[in-house]
Amino acid sequence: MPSPNPLTRTTPLIHLPLVALATVFALPLLWLLLTSVQPREQVGKIPPEWLPRQAFIHVQGEPVPVTPPLPVGSDKLVVIPNAGPKQGKHLLVDPADYQNGQVTVRTQAADRIIEAHYPAQLEQAVPARFVIVKEWFLSKYTSREARVFYVEPNAVSREIAPVFGNYPEAIRALSASEKDKARPLGELLGKSALPWTHKGDRGNTITFLTYLGNTLLVALLSVIGTLSSSSLVAYGLSRIPWKGRTTLFNITLATMMVPFPVLMVPLYGVFRSLGWIGTLMPLWVPLFFGGAFNIFLLRQFFLTIPSELSDAARIDGCSEFGIFWRVILPLSRPALSVVALFTFLSAWNEFLAPLIFLTEPETFTMALGLQQYQSQFGGSEWHLLMGASALLVVPIIALFFFAQKTFIQGISTTGMGGR
Amino acid sequence: MSRVARANLRNGLLFCLPWLIGLSVFLIYPLCAAFYYSLCDYSVLLPPVFIGFDNYVDLASDPLFWKSLRNTAYFATGSVTLGLLVSLTLALLLNSKVKGVGVYRTIFFLPSLMPVVAGSILWMWMYNGQSGLINTALRSIGIDGPAWLADPTWSKPAIVIMAVWGAGNAMVVYLAGLQDVPTSLYEAALIDGAGFFQRLIHVTIPMISPVIYFNVVLSIISGFQAFTQAFIMTGSTGAPERSTLFYVLNLYNVGFQDLRMGYASAMAWVLFVIILVLTFAATKLSKRWVTYDR
Amino acid sequence: MKGRPARGQPHRARIGALVAVFALGLLAFGLLTVLSSCSSRPSKNAPRHITYWEKWTGFEAEAMDAIIEDFNAREAARAQSDPNYAPIEVEKVTISKLEQKLLIAIAGGNPPDLAGNYSFCVAAYADNGALTDLGPMLKRAGFDRSRYIDHYMQLGEYRGKTWALPLVPASTALLLNKRLFKEAGLDPERPPITIEELDAYAEQLTRWEVTLPGGEKRIRTGYLPEVPTAQKRLIQAGFLPGEPSWWLYGYGDYFGGRLLASPEKISAADPANVRGFDWVASYSKKLGIGVIKRFRSGFGNSSSPQSAFLSGKVAMVMQGVWMHNYIEKYAPGLQWSAAPFPYPAGHPELAGTTHAEADVLMIPKGSAHPEEAFAFMQYVSTQPVLEKLCLAQQKFTPLKDVSERFWHDHPHPYIRLFRELGTSKNAVAMPQTGIWNEYNRELGNAVDLIQNLTEPPARALADVQTKMQVALDRNREILARRAAP
Repeated sequence: MPSPNPLTRTTPLIHLPLVALATVFALPLLWLLLTSVQPREQVGKIPPEWLPRQAFIHVQGEPVPVTPPLPVGSDKLVVIPNAGPKQGKHLLVDPADYQNGQVTVRTQAADRIIEAHYPAQLEQAVPARFVIVKEWFLSKYTSREARVFYVEPNAVSREIAPVFGNYPEAIRALSASEKDKARPLGELLGKSALPWTHKGDRGNTITFLTYLGNTLLVALLSVIGTLSSSSLVAYGLSRIPWKGRTTLFNITLATMMVPFPVLMVPLYGVFRSLGWIGTLMPLWVPLFFGGAFNIFLLRQFFLTIPSELSDAARIDGCSEFGIFWRVILPLSRPALSVVALFTFLSAWNEFLAPLIFLTEPETFTMALGLQQYQSQFGGSEWHLLMGASALLVVPIIALFFFAQKTFIQGISTTGMGGR
Repeated sequence: MSRVARANLRNGLLFCLPWLIGLSVFLIYPLCAAFYYSLCDYSVLLPPVFIGFDNYVDLASDPLFWKSLRNTAYFATGSVTLGLLVSLTLALLLNSKVKGVGVYRTIFFLPSLMPVVAGSILWMWMYNGQSGLINTALRSIGIDGPAWLADPTWSKPAIVIMAVWGAGNAMVVYLAGLQDVPTSLYEAALIDGAGFFQRLIHVTIPMISPVIYFNVVLSIISGFQAFTQAFIMTGSTGAPERSTLFYVLNLYNVGFQDLRMGYASAMAWVLFVIILVLTFAATKLSKRWVTYDR
Repeated sequence: MKGRPARGQPHRARIGALVAVFALGLLAFGLLTVLSSCSSRPSKNAPRHITYWEKWTGFEAEAMDAIIEDFNAREAARAQSDPNYAPIEVEKVTISKLEQKLLIAIAGGNPPDLAGNYSFCVAAYADNGALTDLGPMLKRAGFDRSRYIDHYMQLGEYRGKTWALPLVPASTALLLNKRLFKEAGLDPERPPITIEELDAYAEQLTRWEVTLPGGEKRIRTGYLPEVPTAQKRLIQAGFLPGEPSWWLYGYGDYFGGRLLASPEKISAADPANVRGFDWVASYSKKLGIGVIKRFRSGFGNSSSPQSAFLSGKVAMVMQGVWMHNYIEKYAPGLQWSAAPFPYPAGHPELAGTTHAEADVLMIPKGSAHPEEAFAFMQYVSTQPVLEKLCLAQQKFTPLKDVSERFWHDHPHPYIRLFRELGTSKNAVAMPQTGIWNEYNRELGNAVDLIQNLTEPPARALADVQTKMQVALDRNREILARRAAP
């Protein structure tokens, strides 16, 4: 019931800072998405542009995307040599270099310049005011020749045109080998090395799908492992009175303070002796043996279930596991969904553990794949890097909208969250 | 022991069996092993050689150790206090029943869900000295922005700002806590003639202090373990001038690049002790500051 | 006694059972996945599969791909004619930051069979017991060490053993943009011979966009110390020591300094090194630290069209032999030339100093197929194959003998220059010491401090000297302790 509470009265004073803060918080994600659909040339522009724009010219009524126009500078001629290394190609030359049907071509060899003359025919005269544009291709792996156009400056129009093709391009770019980046996307993905393919299968290559498959596998196995083990242990710590359970619980609480880096090195040794380094197992097997935080959470939840329900079931002759399975678990759906959701999220976002335990490139998760791509090519193809990052982020955002209530409820009731 | 008690003991242990295994294999053993390794020279490829407390002595005189500790403390303090301020303010703003609370909440919360790798790459791009969004915005109001991640003075603040951007989950926690505060208390305060800030200080904050305490402690613990942002945004060396060499980053370098696992284990144990001390101190302080419901 | 299900919950039990089965199924699936990665027992003449980790991308990777194809085809042909022969199959995997990941993989007990690493990693890996000694295999194969250029062969040798074979060598020189030279009124056919000349040229090649009081913009040359930073924007730099940043640790070498005086003695604080870094710091003073930082953040990746040199933003750079291919690919109209990096005036004995490293092949400790890996190594080290590889990578070979075909086919206009530099007596490599990783990081930090003018070179290098001498002594102690059983 709403009370006349001056605290909850909304004044215009509230809206201003809220809108300002909301804008600041939303901008980075917006920027991520917008940059991921910008054409290559637009991304490094100073000052940066928000909306993806592309230059177009109209050839026979069809719009053709082109590169940003470059001025011709001075009156020039377009000629086609009939011989020599540039035979059949369009050359843009100074009028002085085209005399008597012969074009002068200069090439650099070692430390001097060689001049050669070839017969050539005149294609068109290009006045100084014209601009040069080349046909724009999305992928740098296209083998088609780009057509070159010489047009009036105002024939080039800049329109808003998002380049959604950046996403498939980013997927291609995430592939491990150079040869693969030039393959058509469908073929490339079809040959992905997936978790169940045999290592060393001929033709299998590491692609975005490999990373996705690995991440999903680890996430799903983590969820199953956590749910089953943590609920069992939480039950044992809350619904069964036994000597020593408080001690165990206190120890559990204490272990929440142990930082992962302390365990990192010896765990590495443990996994090494087990022979698990190079596989995905170090990432999900430990979760089948419980985790302090989830045990704590579920225990707190189980404690809120009235003991009368357990007692009634016990009187009915139910075994302890039966009570667990038939009484407690069904009532714990909200808490279990929270645990499942956050375990999935944490497995998806995990970086340090995969960095250390995964040595085989075929087992890399998406976070590692993205980091590998960034460390190799970062600094030049921001539009693809943003696209690849978006591929990592958008599923999570979608998951959020799908399971919003669980997220919010989970965080509110448990104070959870954070990596 | 009675039959029932014995049955209960057996059942209890059985249910807790996964955790008993997990605790011993994946927690207690590594913890003790880490301590043993910290007393050894251990390169993983060769068996460990016992050297006593040499590693710890070296640590004390290692300028990188102290630098990384300072850097991490700076980051933890900065991100926790700034994060607390921002998330609490946001929660207070959203607690009043404004229209579109859901939309605002989503906008503020979403960044905290992002994988750190993707977020780091995004902010790297935004912090670019020439064409980054941040400097462009600053330029438009006449400020010549610094080179952020390339500038030793500004690299840590840059990472702190990015951490604050992800403070949305704390906001949700505080929001829930705020909504649990009984309005009767506010009404009583109003009757006593308390203004907005007085209500804030004497009613709101004390009532949500347990939540704040819990969150702050967890944030400090995770703040001290910051790794991914520094690794991705400034490389594994913590350049420039080691300004972003965080504790765990240094540990990773020493352990997994120089293969000095013994030394790295000593560092790890020191981190553990630091966290224990901080948590203990926070608990002691909480007895003074935190009020619990009767 | 089993209990009856509570009233109203039978279908919950069924769902529960379904979930349990599903969970078990998924668990089994997970385990199977893992098990499937274990190889099955191979039949007698089934291909012997070896994994080869390489760091190269782009055209360099493609060059090795071609060699591997040749090798695999040769092996397959041999298996065809001899049914008892099990052919070796090489599979190359591209790994980024290989020098980090390889060590972790070896330590984790899961290394590749063969790896292409950097020469400067050999010492640290060897000290840590991460490599297989190639000595016995080389001896059995009758390996002739004198085929190789001494400097490059030594990169794979450490503490008296051979741990790696040089594969593709490199050297560095000064590259200059001829068009920018012409525009600045300098003779593009006359590269700087001394460091002082380099400095003079650099000043003339530095251009700014200056905003005049009236708002008008003008292009001016020189360092313009009298114009405040807010009114000038750097648009072209003559020379930037930090571009690219790969060899910043070694500028002292060009002034005659060395980083390691002997395997027991660090010499970072050598006066010649200090002179070198004083020179590096001078550029920060001339241009301004903030200016350089902002200018540099606009550069793209150094092997992309937006790199500083390719886009004409920096007129002279120290670069490696591979740069030619990137120029051809991304900046085909670029008029450029290469020359030996200048030496300090009055020290002609330092002429021809160059950073000469190599990509090497090594067999990790714990490799599952060392003999097969060595067979591939042998194949690659023959002159025709090595020339094919190095030709495709547009570099020279580490062999003393060079075929006429190689010179004739080579597209690199300055390949002879780079090779000469690689064989010069002043070819320097990174110090061969097990603590190089740490040493490099300390130097990187010192260079940061020096370039940011936070600390004078003398002090920064003295700090590195003290710290690294301690580290070196400690490393020797550790090694002695490990050797004593």
